[in-house]
Amino acid sequence: MKALTEEALTTYLSRHSPAWRDISVSGLHRLPLGASRETFRFDLSYTDDSGAHNDRLILRRDPPASNVDSDRRHEYESYRAIHGHGVPVPRMVLLEEDPEPFGGAISLSEDLRGFHNSEYQLQEPAWRDRLPHIAQQFWTSMGILAAVPVENLDLSFMKPSTVSTTAMQELDYWEDTLDRHDVGPEPIVRAAIRWMRRNPPPPAQKLSMVHGDFRAGNFLYDDSGNLIAVLDWEMAHMGDPLEDLAWSFARVFCFGKDDRRCGLAPREDAIAIWEKASGLQVDPKALHWWELLICVKGQGIWNSCAHVWSEGTNRDVIHAYAAWWLRNAQDRAILELMGKL
Amino acid sequence: MRPFVPAATADLAERLRTDIVPEVAGFRAGNVGMTAAMLDMIGQEWDRAAARLVEENSAMRALLVRGAALIGGPQPLDDPNADLHVSALEAANEALRQGLITLQSTIEERIDDEARALDEAIWDELRRSVERRRIASANF
Repeated sequence: MKALTEEALTTYLSRHSPAWRDISVSGLHRLPLGASRETFRFDLSYTDDSGAHNDRLILRRDPPASNVDSDRRHEYESYRAIHGHGVPVPRMVLLEEDPEPFGGAISLSEDLRGFHNSEYQLQEPAWRDRLPHIAQQFWTSMGILAAVPVENLDLSFMKPSTVSTTAMQELDYWEDTLDRHDVGPEPIVRAAIRWMRRNPPPPAQKLSMVHGDFRAGNFLYDDSGNLIAVLDWEMAHMGDPLEDLAWSFARVFCFGKDDRRCGLAPREDAIAIWEKASGLQVDPKALHWWELLICVKGQGIWNSCAHVWSEGTNRDVIHAYAAWWLRNAQDRAILELMGKL
Repeated sequence: MRPFVPAATADLAERLRTDIVPEVAGFRAGNVGMTAAMLDMIGQEWDRAAARLVEENSAMRALLVRGAALIGGPQPLDDPNADLHVSALEAANEALRQGLITLQSTIEERIDDEARALDEAIWDELRRSVERRRIASANF
């Protein structure tokens, strides 16, 4: 992968924005965030006709191979679509889809510094009394996203979907992901897929913008536990809002290694918060189907980690680590949901 | 090998966490931390891999023999554990797991008692397999 340098960024920005003068890029470094995209932080200063500017920015770059099929435009447009609709997100600044300047497409966004995003920090004793407040903020934000009418959003860049087609559309997509990233026969996830096809869920109550990775670790919070911004929208799509709720219930994301979902709160509490914020009711049978779907999705992603590492197309440590750490836990979660554990 | 491999990997992992992680930051610290966690997993797997694969291969072979008697079809390998190299056991394991998928997808919609009992036996073995494969540090 091409080295990302301050010089390359300065040269690029000079060409991209000819009106900017005295451009300076400093403090560029990669952040330990996520497996699917590379994330960097830097400071930018420049002068234009309106005066001097000092910006703190995040740069995300598409790697040559990833555990998630997405691209810069998709995430960039997802952030722009939801911005201003009640779910706090960073402001997008620039999209460069040409891979030539940096070895992969990039996007720039504002960098909301001084906040936390660690899902593990929340399990430290010092944070325990703030968890109910964080849970309230987290599942309320998810409920607000579920409630936004998709007609009010520009989601024209997304794959079309309907309340009737979204379930099988997602199952088809993630089964295909498993097929394309085969790392050996998997009796448990394949049995789950067959059961899901025999027992489809009811149509979605409404079509929503689904974040696709709404969990602890993917939002910023302050010292008081207030949710500042929801991050990582590269898997956003139109679908059943129960999908986000189900993803947040994933056993592999129970970072407290107990029944608190996302390491924050029991599922009953989370459902009550989400229902109040979304104005929707949770159908337990439908939620169960979606919880199985997100297990298939999870296994598709963890297998993709193993696949890209094994193929040598992306040897980031996190890909090997995630595959080892998560694949069996994901199988156990499927067995629990199917009443076989 | 001496020192015993799990003891060595555990010690190396701890040294990475206590000596190296504090000396680096950000992305590099994350990579070192994950490398330490992977050393812990290597230690756990090094000790149990052959045992769990032999047990699992024998159990799956018995299920496939039972399945062949019920629905016909090919018998599985005579002895999936003839070669005790982990790579050979893994290869046999994959062939058996593929056979199990085919067998279960064939019988799971049958309603006769024999098929129901075999399906439940397959689920029992799948449950045992995830317990054998559990990662000590996993969230679930």
